[in-house]
Amino acid sequence: MAGKSLVITSGKGGVGKTTTVANIGTALAMMDYKVCLIDADIGLRNLDVVMGLENRIVYDIVDVVEDNCRLEQALIRDKRHKNLFLLPAAQTRDKTAVQPDQMKTLVEDLKNEMDYVVIDSPAGIEQGFKNAIAGADFALIVTTPEVSAVRDADRIIGLLEAEGLKNPEVIINRINAEMVSRGDMMNIEDIIEILAVNLKGIVPEDNIIIVSSNRGEPVVLKENPKAGKAFKNIARRITGEEVNFISLEDNSFFTKLKKIFSFS
Amino acid sequence: MKSPITFKVAKNGIVLTLDPDAKFNRIKEALRGHVESATNFYAGADLYINIAENSFKIDQLNKIVNIVRGYKDVKNIIFTSDVVKQDTVEINNEGETYLINRTLRSGQKIKKSGNVVIIGDINPGAEVIAGGDIIVFGKIRGVVHAGAGGSSQASVTALKLEPTQLRISKKIARPPEESGNKKSLQPERAFIQDGQIMVEDFEI
Repeated sequence: MAGKSLVITSGKGGVGKTTTVANIGTALAMMDYKVCLIDADIGLRNLDVVMGLENRIVYDIVDVVEDNCRLEQALIRDKRHKNLFLLPAAQTRDKTAVQPDQMKTLVEDLKNEMDYVVIDSPAGIEQGFKNAIAGADFALIVTTPEVSAVRDADRIIGLLEAEGLKNPEVIINRINAEMVSRGDMMNIEDIIEILAVNLKGIVPEDNIIIVSSNRGEPVVLKENPKAGKAFKNIARRITGEEVNFISLEDNSFFTKLKKIFSFS
Repeated sequence: MKSPITFKVAKNGIVLTLDPDAKFNRIKEALRGHVESATNFYAGADLYINIAENSFKIDQLNKIVNIVRGYKDVKNIIFTSDVVKQDTVEINNEGETYLINRTLRSGQKIKKSGNVVIIGDINPGAEVIAGGDIIVFGKIRGVVHAGAGGSSQASVTALKLEPTQLRISKKIARPPEESGNKKSLQPERAFIQDGQIMVEDFEI
């Protein structure tokens, strides 16, 4: 049975796409699914670093497309989960090294082997973005509670719909409960009201993310951090499970969340 | 100073009238400027050039022809001496109306010579330009321009008017920096009165 492919994208850079891919992918693998992560950010690859697999790269996505190697040769098996793979981007090339239809074929091939193919999109709306979304069955958009990130997310939703990727869902990353309750940060309600799409998950801001990215150990591997729990919940929702949104400290905030949940 | 060219939108197309009292150079410059700013705004329409009370030398006429060729995708360009006045109407009463049944997101742009009705929101970063009225069954947060062909009778109506910028004809307005009650839906209508953009509650 063929698996599903999803693209994680955002428009704006630095909102946490790569972190999200690494964590959702690892979380899916922890649930015993066979998962392949694709780094579509050719020329600015990061996913290998965040996964801690940089020193194992021999072949990359451009080698596969240019027939320098077989697809299986380029796949790097994760050091912690044997059912998790990474197809790394090329660092010495640029986005034009791959065409959307090649990407589509590649993802189709991988879907035959995997339960989930998770594609990490580069920032922007140019060719790299078009490559990243070409083979995706559905899209998750990462945004942060900033006006500029939400604006870009809105633009991306419009572009995805134009490309036939209907009903994308949104992940709000780096929510700071304290700042929201003080009214210093956009709240979830405001963001969902503008974007008018389903909420797939809320990830609280947590400095441990930086530490875990630097160490190449996705935060979902740890038991305690709330951010890790949030990513695990998103992974469970991707598999079709219904999971309640986690509470972010104070109660008034939780009531707001419940309100959103009831009408989404 | 009065513009040496005037535009009206009639049922059968756009009527461009050249001021017989203006110097040829001014007409030429005004036309050139208009062609540049119009881009493909008049796509699909017939353009009538009313030269009724003008007299042009043949090379002047040639120059005019060369300039108006710059209007992109205009169906026909017709020189006429009919005074089409009685037939011309302000576009917001006539003209075609386009229905858009979705929310316009950042980066999406709608440009129509008629009226535009949107069932959905205009999000920040989206842009709607209409020759006539703009009616939005939703919230306006992006940029809207009604009466873009010059009609000062045009208006903008929405369930919630919070535009980044609102233009009618040649007037531009920004909302106040401190916006009021963000939650309530109060339909509002913006129009030009005494040379200024006014906004009033729209009673249903």
